[in-house]
Amino acid sequence: MTSLTLRNLKKSFGSTEVIKGVDLQVHDGEFVVFVGPSGCGKSTLLRMIAGLEDITAGELYIGDRLVNEVQAAQRGVAMVFQSYALYPHLAVKDNMAFGLKVRKVPAEERERRVQDAAASLKLEALLGRYPRELSGGQRQRVAIGRAIVGNPQVFLFDEPLSNLDAELRVHMRSEIAALHKRLGNTMIYVTHDQIEAMTLADRIVVLREGRIEQVGSPRELYERPANLFVAQFIGSPRMNVLPAASVEKSLSARGLDIGSAEGVGMRPEHISVVEAGSGLLRGAVTLREYTGATTLLHVALEGGETALVVHNGQNMPEAGEDVGLEIAREHMHLFDSQGQAIRPLARAG
Amino acid sequence: MADTLTDKTSARPWRAPRLSLRRREAIEAWLFVSPTVAGFLVFFLGPLLAVMYFSLTEWNLLTQEATFVGVKNYVDALSVNPDFWHVLRNSFVFAIGLVPLNMTLALTLALALSRPFRGVVFFRTVFFAPVVTSAVAWAIVWRFLLQGEAGAVNQLLASVGIDGPNWLREPDWAMVAVIVTRVIKMVGLNMILYIAALQAIPRDYEAAARLEGASNWQIFRMVIWPLLAPTTLVIFVITMIGSFKVFDHIYLMTGGGPENGTLVLAFYIYEQGFKFFNVGYASALAMIMFVIVLVLTVIQMTLRRKDMR
Repeated sequence: MTSLTLRNLKKSFGSTEVIKGVDLQVHDGEFVVFVGPSGCGKSTLLRMIAGLEDITAGELYIGDRLVNEVQAAQRGVAMVFQSYALYPHLAVKDNMAFGLKVRKVPAEERERRVQDAAASLKLEALLGRYPRELSGGQRQRVAIGRAIVGNPQVFLFDEPLSNLDAELRVHMRSEIAALHKRLGNTMIYVTHDQIEAMTLADRIVVLREGRIEQVGSPRELYERPANLFVAQFIGSPRMNVLPAASVEKSLSARGLDIGSAEGVGMRPEHISVVEAGSGLLRGAVTLREYTGATTLLHVALEGGETALVVHNGQNMPEAGEDVGLEIAREHMHLFDSQGQAIRPLARAG
Repeated sequence: MADTLTDKTSARPWRAPRLSLRRREAIEAWLFVSPTVAGFLVFFLGPLLAVMYFSLTEWNLLTQEATFVGVKNYVDALSVNPDFWHVLRNSFVFAIGLVPLNMTLALTLALALSRPFRGVVFFRTVFFAPVVTSAVAWAIVWRFLLQGEAGAVNQLLASVGIDGPNWLREPDWAMVAVIVTRVIKMVGLNMILYIAALQAIPRDYEAAARLEGASNWQIFRMVIWPLLAPTTLVIFVITMIGSFKVFDHIYLMTGGGPENGTLVLAFYIYEQGFKFFNVGYASALAMIMFVIVLVLTVIQMTLRRKDMR
């Protein structure tokens, strides 16, 4: 087990800077997830840690060792690729033993370590097969197995579940979580799927345009987003953000002061539907989307904005019906003109 | 009037007989492939059958007289005519010299030029340009360059203290010269095929191998080379067939000389058929060449299939 330290890490391709100074401390045995929209630099950052991309500036420590100039193979990391990168001409067993073979590990030990890894991932029956003869989930497990046999200090996962169907993704997610629990290694996992991030991570690193927007536990990010971007990126459906003016009057009538806030954020699942004419906001239902457990209501507000509401109670309003919307004070997120979070919502002096 | 009206309404317009979907699709499919099939029949299968027949005759192109002689031409080639084995040996020397040299050079160039870098397109163009250069121009230039003492190649060698041979006038060196100049002319084609194959190999394989500690040589030997095997087989087969069929290069560079030192099978067939007008004998030689190439290709493909398993 080992920790990682990223100090002002930068990466440029030609004149284009894609990682613009990342500072991060990853603790021993921690499961950290890099999440962000496409092109935010999360995979590049992972490949820099792996040693597959040069570091333009800054320092990267694995444990106490500065590894900027250390070759990928000497960093003690293993990586599971999005494409799995299983060598198509080698059987599963040879794929898993590849790294040991090039490192000239004796054949007996190679065999033992492959068998151990195969047993821990229930791959024994597949050892003689070729990658083309495996399902997506099996390939994924082999890729993880190949990473395990090398006994790395740090595991890196680059969107490992994105090629799987929804059901298998849920299953493999739990397998990766179980693997982390069993091995206890430091793991860094890249995904654009926030559900994966929320369910797997000890801490989530939200990236945008090569910079860290916020680092925190899933709960911290959900409950106390540092800014508008994180607030809207984490949580599904995304947070409603309304101009402060649209709720200012109603709030001050309740003795609440929004201060310098320019925007007010409300998660759809925290808004409840109340009788028309009452509540913090007023509007009319324009669309109902039934999803089984809940119904997603699109409500056109008096001010012209649209709010999404997750409704799972009785008294389902009809499309076109006037409704009132209510939200608890502690669930309101206030943002300043720069999109930075202001908290908490204060009682008026 | 009423009758006319009745006739008009009751008369059924002519309709093509209704064909089943499967039959319609079959007809369409045959229509689509018919140009290729016609070309194959007229330009490949027809001549092949004709050559097979001619090889069993004694046919003088001048007198237009064809006499059926059975396998006499084959017997002549294999056991009577001493030239045949010499020519065959030359063809194998040419192929054995050219194929590995061409493929090794093509792969080396492809490895160097498959990744983007400044000027890569220029270098690819430079190495591919000879492929599309006229064979006549190529041969004339090289004959000039390979002249005895006055040739640029020997002058270059002399500048580093090497006394170069008279390349195209000495039998052994003439073979080396035609092989090397042929390789330089044709290597660009195989280079392009290897570049395409290398670019089709996902970069993640190399990244994964590098992370696992493989050196550049190990990555090449254990990952890249096995994945290039299908391309290597194709390149091997087409290069080998090409080397057995080489004609223009020999014709223009050495004319089969000196002392028949570069007289290869295709050129020998041409000489027999169109210089000495022994069409029957030339056809038998052509059939032998066809069988040699076929056998080598089948062996190679069988080995490859075994390897795949």
